[in-house]
Amino acid sequence: MTWLPEIDELHRREDLARQMGGAEKVAKHHAQGRLAVRERINLLLDADTFHETGALAGKATYEGGKLTAFQPANFVLGTGKIEGRKVVVAGDDFTVRGGAADAAIMGKQVYAEKMAHDLLLPLVRLVDGTGGGGSVKSLDDMGYTYVPYNPGWDYVVANLGRVPVVAAALGSTAGLGAARLAAAHFSIMVAQTSQLFVAGPPVVRYGMGQDLSKEELGGVAVHRSSGAVDNIASSEEDAFRQIRRFLSYLPRSAWELPPMNATSEDDPGRREESLLSAIPRNRRRVYKIRPILDAIFDAGSVFEMGREVGGATVTAFARLDGCSVGVLAPDPYVGGGGLSALGADKLARFVDLCGTFHLPVVNLVDQPGLVIGLDAERGGAIRHGVRAIAAVYQARIPMVEVILRRVFGVGGAGMTNAHGLNLRYAWPSGDWGSLPVEGGIEVAFRRDLEASDDPAGMREEILARMEGVRSPFRTAEAFGIEEIIDPRDTRPLLCEWVHDAYRLLPSLLGPWSHAMRP
Amino acid sequence: MEIKADLNGTVFKVLVREGDATASGDEVMILESMKMEIPVEAPAAGRVTRVLVKPGDSIVDGQVLLEIDPT
Repeated sequence: MTWLPEIDELHRREDLARQMGGAEKVAKHHAQGRLAVRERINLLLDADTFHETGALAGKATYEGGKLTAFQPANFVLGTGKIEGRKVVVAGDDFTVRGGAADAAIMGKQVYAEKMAHDLLLPLVRLVDGTGGGGSVKSLDDMGYTYVPYNPGWDYVVANLGRVPVVAAALGSTAGLGAARLAAAHFSIMVAQTSQLFVAGPPVVRYGMGQDLSKEELGGVAVHRSSGAVDNIASSEEDAFRQIRRFLSYLPRSAWELPPMNATSEDDPGRREESLLSAIPRNRRRVYKIRPILDAIFDAGSVFEMGREVGGATVTAFARLDGCSVGVLAPDPYVGGGGLSALGADKLARFVDLCGTFHLPVVNLVDQPGLVIGLDAERGGAIRHGVRAIAAVYQARIPMVEVILRRVFGVGGAGMTNAHGLNLRYAWPSGDWGSLPVEGGIEVAFRRDLEASDDPAGMREEILARMEGVRSPFRTAEAFGIEEIIDPRDTRPLLCEWVHDAYRLLPSLLGPWSHAMRP
Repeated sequence: MEIKADLNGTVFKVLVREGDATASGDEVMILESMKMEIPVEAPAAGRVTRVLVKPGDSIVDGQVLLEIDPT
């Protein structure tokens, strides 16, 4: 006498669960250019590594004591591997009642968060629909309303300080679904097949009188630069690639070292000639930052987050001699490279992320300061700016500063933190001061210029004198800058630094006093 | 096709005239912001139909600078 009949029943029910919303609903989903949740999980994870929890949860129909029909809960969760490392994956099933709460087994959603929390595993949320948010119909069925709460939110918030959390919007994402998308370290949405909004077009039409389609209200055209999400994917497959890539730079939890053994065939001693002329001699000319990043970091290792959000500041992951690092860099093509409010928020968030997971940070500085002018003031520029600087100061991770060009003002000064291995190098193109000389002369020498017979000539004379004063060599004489380097030596120097930085990390592991906010 | 400014600043140089042909990526204008000269590139090949600003003009984020008829 064995339990084989029950095992057969188990397999039967698991097969029913695998049908999701049924062949017809799945086909309709496909016709919209979207994959079904189980297909998404399979594509995301390493082959054959998915181990499901809660497959049997759902609404069963019995006739005469026998199971005749089964609608699975619209949420699939379990563990699996990504590049051989275990993660928790949790996906909404849009083919079962559009992902709404009345079909959800809320416990499963909370369980996914709890699993990631208690087992210290990275979490990937594949969000599609309202992600378990309420509907008026379910209130009607229940016969009462309830004071809302966000389920499992204690775990959601705590997880941000414990394990990497990634969320992807793979359909129309609103309400609680939108919240679960945004409350992550890395949020991504898919162009054309996904939208993100607090509330969708019908509610917006009714409540705000705005008549907008889903795409107009919350498509990628809105969100590529809004700051609500980090990256845009061109397809669901691209989204899974980016998720896998993001996770490859991070440890599995805040208690583990970041990955440092990525196989790199890129010679740590590589000296790129292009770096010697990368910064134009004409101070007003801009340059492309991304070729500079490629010349410094391991080939193909640069992965940007939020490229189009506050684009004057580049935040990216990269590797040096196989070791993961965070990278901050300027893009002078975007508004001259000044730090905007959105850029400052992105920078603070990124520094917090590196601090949480103990990634050493390389800060390539060309910073004219915070963006100025009326629009900037209206946006509270200085408040956002000092918050970013506070994030840099609170980061308890090694940071190295390589000054490419400008360091001016409060913004420039704030780019270096007070703790850890805080080395600083300058390229000969370094150009710094509390105020730039141009414009500064008019202010400082106003009386002399007004009193002079030849103000233009006097101005030229002062400018020539200041040209000498502003040379980085003068600063070095006063030990105001520790080292000026040949730009071609940047990569070998940083490949050496990264190993020094990684030596410090074991003593920094564990949760940060300051857990990350979304 | 409208080419819009993506920053607040001024127009430093206008490099095309109405009627000029452009290739994708050509610099059509140079703006100035935060003391930097920032090039504006044509996003597509085409012909310049209207130039709406001149050097020295103050411009804002989102303002249309010129129009191109893509080929």
